[in-house]
Amino acid sequence: MNAVDPIIRLHQINKSFGTFKALNDVTLEINAGEKIVVLGPSGSGKSTLLRTINRLETIDSGSIIIDGRNLYGPAEDINQIRMELGMVFQSFNLFPHKSVLENLTLAPIKLKKMERERAEELALALLAKVGMRDRASHYPIQLSGGQQQRVAIARALAMEPKIMLFDEPTSALDPEMINEVLEVMTTLAKEGMTMVVVTHEMGFAREVADKVVFMDEGAIVEQASPSDFFTNPQNPRSQFFLKQIL
Amino acid sequence: MSQKQSNQIEVGDGAAIPNPEDKGLVSAWYIALFGTLALIILLPWLKPDPYLNILRFVPDGILVTFEVTVLSIALAIVIGLLTGLGRLSPNRFINLIASLYVEVVRGIPLLVQLFYIYFALGRFVQVPDIIAAVIAMAFCYGAYMGEVFRAGIKSIDYGQTEASLSLGFNRRQTMAYVILPQAWRTILPPVGNEFIALLKDTSLVSILAVADILRRGREYAAESFNYFETYTMIALIYLLITLVLSKLISVMEHRLSHYERR
Repeated sequence: MNAVDPIIRLHQINKSFGTFKALNDVTLEINAGEKIVVLGPSGSGKSTLLRTINRLETIDSGSIIIDGRNLYGPAEDINQIRMELGMVFQSFNLFPHKSVLENLTLAPIKLKKMERERAEELALALLAKVGMRDRASHYPIQLSGGQQQRVAIARALAMEPKIMLFDEPTSALDPEMINEVLEVMTTLAKEGMTMVVVTHEMGFAREVADKVVFMDEGAIVEQASPSDFFTNPQNPRSQFFLKQIL
Repeated sequence: MSQKQSNQIEVGDGAAIPNPEDKGLVSAWYIALFGTLALIILLPWLKPDPYLNILRFVPDGILVTFEVTVLSIALAIVIGLLTGLGRLSPNRFINLIASLYVEVVRGIPLLVQLFYIYFALGRFVQVPDIIAAVIAMAFCYGAYMGEVFRAGIKSIDYGQTEASLSLGFNRRQTMAYVILPQAWRTILPPVGNEFIALLKDTSLVSILAVADILRRGREYAAESFNYFETYTMIALIYLLITLVLSKLISVMEHRLSHYERR
């Protein structure tokens, strides 16, 4: 594989829910190690776009290439591709019947056939990284929202993915818990992880993003570096959006 | 994520499973249990003929009743799981087969099904009466169980499925590792209800040549003409069993809900 090939390549994606056009001819390329923050008003298709990347949302037309593999190729194993794509949800979606540690070890043990001791070692290291090591034996219900989301990030990392997708990871959190999650994400970004983040956290976008993608009505209307986007937006819709929130 | 127990309305024909919050039902349970125990002990003691004789003659049937109940429920759970999964399957054909099974079974009285399977089966294969009875009971209860499983599986938030898929699990693994272990908690109370209902319905197999509690009672009554006394004891024995079982199930249910509580 050529080193300059983008790790994610979305080409002319279209997607409708009934008569509602959720994605309109979206083309986007993301290089390995890049951090992309997707912004836009609600209903603009940000989450739908993110969810098409690991095929939680199917597309009507277009093509998606992840790390050289066609997401819709007949010979490709979607589950293999998904192992390389960690996903973090707005509502955490931890497994409530498993302890924190088991949440992290389930997939590596079952899918990668990792030995339990090794999986637990890895899990504990990841929990330490997100500051949750002392809660390994707790159940999700016993944790605050911010703690649950940090565990959810660790759970996704336990599969050692190449790319991390974040779908509004802080939108369901109380304000005082947002920072602890953003800090974990910032650390991850500094370590060189390829990240695609849908968020409303402008501070995070400004600080961490290599590129801001602004969406409206299912289409990408502007792509720019954060400094350009926030100080000098080109598109009138971006200008309007920024005026609303800043 | 977790439904409140009080939001569930269950109208089954199983015995009422006492919930600790329901004071009326809990105290009623104690009164019924001790009343039943007292009668089962006092009657044979005060009037050994016929009560003690009945108590000596009938218990053979208790084992048969339990055998039929346990085998039927085990088979019904397997059929129910397959039916429930079939009813949720995106495959049109599998879905149709499962739905058809549920519709047909629900529309035919259990006694008619029992006769039908017993005699229809008898035409082609010679199976022991007890096996025929188990197959018939399981066939019927599997349909009800299927609806219980379907509801239990559907009660789990779809985010759980998405989280599992995004980790790389396929649909089958997601069901086995993530959905069913959680759904089991929702499914257990109605399954317990079905178990008790099935235990009572096994009395129907006494019509076939299966020597369950009721059958043994009928045999005794036919010989001794002590109909009233015999059926009094039969009723008390059934009541005692269902009362104890309902308590056991409620204890199990609380054990299983541990991760909901702090």
